[in-house]
Amino acid sequence: MHPALSVFRTNRRNRQSDIRVLADEELMQLVRAGDARAFEVVFDRHSGAAFSLAYRMCGRQAMAEDVVQEAFVSMWRSGAHYDATRGSVRTWVLSVVRNRTIDAFRRESAKGGRDVFEEGIAERMPAPELTDTEVERRDEARQVRKALVELPPDQRQVIELAYFGGFTHSQIADMLELPSGTVKGRMRLGLTKMRLALGDSPEVMV
Amino acid sequence: MTVQEPMPGKHDCGADAAAYVLGALEPEEAQAFSRHLDTCVVCRDEVATFQHTANALAMTPPQHRAPRGLKRRVIRAVRESDAETKAQAAPARRSRWGGSGLFAARPAIAALGALAVVVVVIGAIVVSSNGSNGTRTIAAAVTGSPGTAQLSVSGGHGQLVLRNFPQPTAGHIYEMWELRSGAKAPAPTGTLFSVNSSGAGNVGVPGGLHGISKVLVTQEPAGGSLTPTTTPVIVASLD
Repeated sequence: MHPALSVFRTNRRNRQSDIRVLADEELMQLVRAGDARAFEVVFDRHSGAAFSLAYRMCGRQAMAEDVVQEAFVSMWRSGAHYDATRGSVRTWVLSVVRNRTIDAFRRESAKGGRDVFEEGIAERMPAPELTDTEVERRDEARQVRKALVELPPDQRQVIELAYFGGFTHSQIADMLELPSGTVKGRMRLGLTKMRLALGDSPEVMV
Repeated sequence: MTVQEPMPGKHDCGADAAAYVLGALEPEEAQAFSRHLDTCVVCRDEVATFQHTANALAMTPPQHRAPRGLKRRVIRAVRESDAETKAQAAPARRSRWGGSGLFAARPAIAALGALAVVVVVIGAIVVSSNGSNGTRTIAAAVTGSPGTAQLSVSGGHGQLVLRNFPQPTAGHIYEMWELRSGAKAPAPTGTLFSVNSSGAGNVGVPGGLHGISKVLVTQEPAGGSLTPTTTPVIVASLD
């Protein structure tokens, strides 16, 4: 290999490793300027959570992959529009993924088979690769999951149907043969209880 | 602490806040509640507190590693998107897919990308040359902007051509909608876009125009919306 080429490759490796120490918000500034390597790091950091959410909602790996691909492509196109004052990069990524999944539901009317997540054809993320930040996120996610699981079943049900199923309160009311007001009331009670359960914890870092 | 059921019959404007943050309001209700938030500090506070909890729900599913191959698919799709954008609108953003690891430009992909650009450019020339033979140009109504917008219709397909349009405001993006004949509300086309530094953009309407009476564009939060949340800035009527 030509020495100059070797130096170039070493510099490129160093640059990539420099980028990896940047915070998400700093990476997004680079993404805004069209930096593909910064986008790669953002993908590496959040694709697991993005895929996990899409997989939980879709229940099908192929559909979840399509949704995540569509979401990241739209994020690349709209990277300049990430607003740090409105939440973390992960929150933004996951909200885009959720919106895209609900769009996909509407397009394909694929309302079935979305509760198979525990059977897992997808590979579990191995613990040794977790960064400190990711460990912290996992701990907080565990608290949120506990708060959700401890809700009365009727409140948990409407929250899960709305958030993961993408159903409106009217659709849920039809499904459960309840007045819409009752469905909305259960959503409110459920979220209030979760908020109180998480109240003594530091603000959840999604 | 015991959480009480809301008192029946008591005015309770925050009753929709939880459904709102869960995305469970009907589209018209969501728009009305969104307007209500502009004037009601109580509901704004309630939405803000619920929003943190709702955001956290996204992390409760069991965590998986993204499947092998997904990263490569995403990067390929992004490259194709960039090539298409460059060919269509001479975008201000300069992509630098210089690449390392999985992102390294592979000769075959690079060749395919170049071919795609050539095909798109040739396609544009052909459409242009057909201007007097089956291409119809519809001037779209533009609101709140000094820019112009035209819908170029050819062979049952549409292309929205924007000039002198402002960039979307921070945290927002343009989203295209279609209104089908007889429908009461527009449906999302799944197309999100911006304009280049000159305010220009060429955006295809996905699918054909058959059965569509209007093509609309609104400004939406980044990532897009399921239903329009703002007044359309562009309305192109096909009737």
